[in-house]
Amino acid sequence: MMMIIAEFFVVILKVLWAFVTAGARWVVRPKEKSVAGQVCVITGAGSGLGRLFAKEFARRRAVLVLWDINSQSNEETAEMVRQIYHETETPIAKDGPVGGVEEVPAFQPQVYTYVCDVGKRESVYSTAEKVRREVGEVDILINNAGVVSGHHLLECPDELIERTMVVNCHAHFWTTKAFLPKMLELNHGHIVTVASSLGLFSTAGVEDYCASKFGAIGFHESLSHEIKASEKDGINMTLVCPYLVNTGMFKGCRIRKEIEPFLPPLSPDFCVKQAMRAILTDQPMVCTPRIIYMVNFMKSILPFEAIVCMYRFLGADKCMYPFLAQRKEAMNNNEAKNGI
Amino acid sequence: MLLVVELLLMLIDVAYFILRAVVRVFFHPRPKSVDGELCLITGAGGVLGRLFALEFAKEGARLVLWDCDTVANERTAQLARKQGVEVRAYTVDLSKRQSVYDAAERVRAEVGDVSILVNNAGVVAGRRLLECPDELLERTLLVNCHALFWTTKAFLPQMKVRNHGHIVTIASALGLFTTACVEDYCASKFGAVGFHESLAHELRVENNDGIKTTLVCPYIVDTGMFSGCEIRKEIRKLIPPLQPLYTVQRSMKAILGDQEMICIPRIIYIPFIARALLPWDANVVVYRFLGGDKCMLPFIKNAETKTSCGESQAS
Repeated sequence: MMMIIAEFFVVILKVLWAFVTAGARWVVRPKEKSVAGQVCVITGAGSGLGRLFAKEFARRRAVLVLWDINSQSNEETAEMVRQIYHETETPIAKDGPVGGVEEVPAFQPQVYTYVCDVGKRESVYSTAEKVRREVGEVDILINNAGVVSGHHLLECPDELIERTMVVNCHAHFWTTKAFLPKMLELNHGHIVTVASSLGLFSTAGVEDYCASKFGAIGFHESLSHEIKASEKDGINMTLVCPYLVNTGMFKGCRIRKEIEPFLPPLSPDFCVKQAMRAILTDQPMVCTPRIIYMVNFMKSILPFEAIVCMYRFLGADKCMYPFLAQRKEAMNNNEAKNGI
Repeated sequence: MLLVVELLLMLIDVAYFILRAVVRVFFHPRPKSVDGELCLITGAGGVLGRLFALEFAKEGARLVLWDCDTVANERTAQLARKQGVEVRAYTVDLSKRQSVYDAAERVRAEVGDVSILVNNAGVVAGRRLLECPDELLERTLLVNCHALFWTTKAFLPQMKVRNHGHIVTIASALGLFTTACVEDYCASKFGAVGFHESLAHELRVENNDGIKTTLVCPYIVDTGMFSGCEIRKEIRKLIPPLQPLYTVQRSMKAILGDQEMICIPRIIYIPFIARALLPWDANVVVYRFLGGDKCMLPFIKNAETKTSCGESQAS
């Protein structure tokens, strides 16, 4: 009995300490770890955040393995990466064979591209096999690929709903199963889940996206608990939950115009830089911007009706409607062009 | 100026709803009547599904029971008919979209329009992620999450036309926070919660005030589904696994009171809020203290032994 009370006090102290260290991160930046030479797989690397992640990791001299369903945009990203590798080449000084010092190029990272449909289990496994053979063991896995159907539930073709679910959620199971075993064996690795603030709270009109992002977060957290419990302290996990990012994916999404200046859509660059900071300092979770932490907390304590009121005031309840309307119009235009 | 006025009105509304929620803890609203309503329950052959069927039958609702297990489903139908209500049972595989739509079509043709949809069916793989066959992982996601899309698409249109209906999602406390070793279940239940909330928001925006939604998040219920799951022994008495009947009766109170969400027992709100409030490392510390981090290990061992027993019996 005394034991448990004593333990309880220790727990309280540890919880307070966790707050202190979390707060300290805001003030004093922890040192970023080096990922030079490490193999980093990024899904959805052909566009948006995936491309920016690739460039950031390239700047830090990681070996990049780019996965995307679109071969052309994937290759474009690879070109940009090669450019960065070239720009960041710094030869190192080394003792020459005949006395004197000669300059030799440091480790030369490379970029590898693979066309992969992460929504298809077999595609993930066969591509992972290729990566293991052609590149080596994977150190960092960035589960970034994401899609949205862009239709109201009752008007949405079922295939699009399923697609959102398999790409945004199921795929994480397959990539993790492909790469985690070796990470566990070597007790070294980092798994990053790029979810969304729409995985912490939801809004109208994007049921498939919310379900899939909530699911991705549920998977990530459960896996994090499992890895923590298994005491494999060499494996880190980071959950990235950005607010709306200006990548064009949710083009048209708009909250109330008076509030918009305070909460504008994020610049993709800013979002990725914040995420990189979290990943390279082994931070378990990062919400961008920080106010999302507040929104998440309020959503968990307030009754649903109260949240509906706040949403209405902020224009957050209908924010997706212009986006959905734009998508519908684009689809109708396409159909008109094709003479349907 | 207008913005400030609206802000004040909004804050007053928020305060009202918080107060209402607190009052409701002590004074339950009068339960609405569902006499004569057509209520569809998925997973009606299981423990919770059967109890829901009997409770709704007591209230006079007509029943449509769906389950993949024909025998168990028929048994539920038999028991429910004793209450004197009309009951139809259909064998449906919720993991298959077409099965859902075909059955829904038959229900519309043979019985009528469903006004209460209870999405109750749930499965779990019961294996650690790296040892789990992919088919089992997929099945959990398909039955616990995807199926919600199909049943809603099947029955919501008619509810909208009549501006009358109730969609109930039986999720889980593991849809609000997670634990180790049940990644498939957590992913699927989180997904169910995300779907339900997004749908609830959409119904509000479109002013479908006649269509109610209720999200039910029970802690571990003693149905055998998670048998073996155990938190720290000193805490076990404070938070024992829930009794199925209590869970269903509590859920019924929420459903018939048009409550948007219910956690059973209420103490579950604490880890749910803690997840949003505490830094991750703090959450892990608390889990370790409660034995929440390793609680599923005995369940997984149990499930594995059962399978190997089954296999040795078959061979």
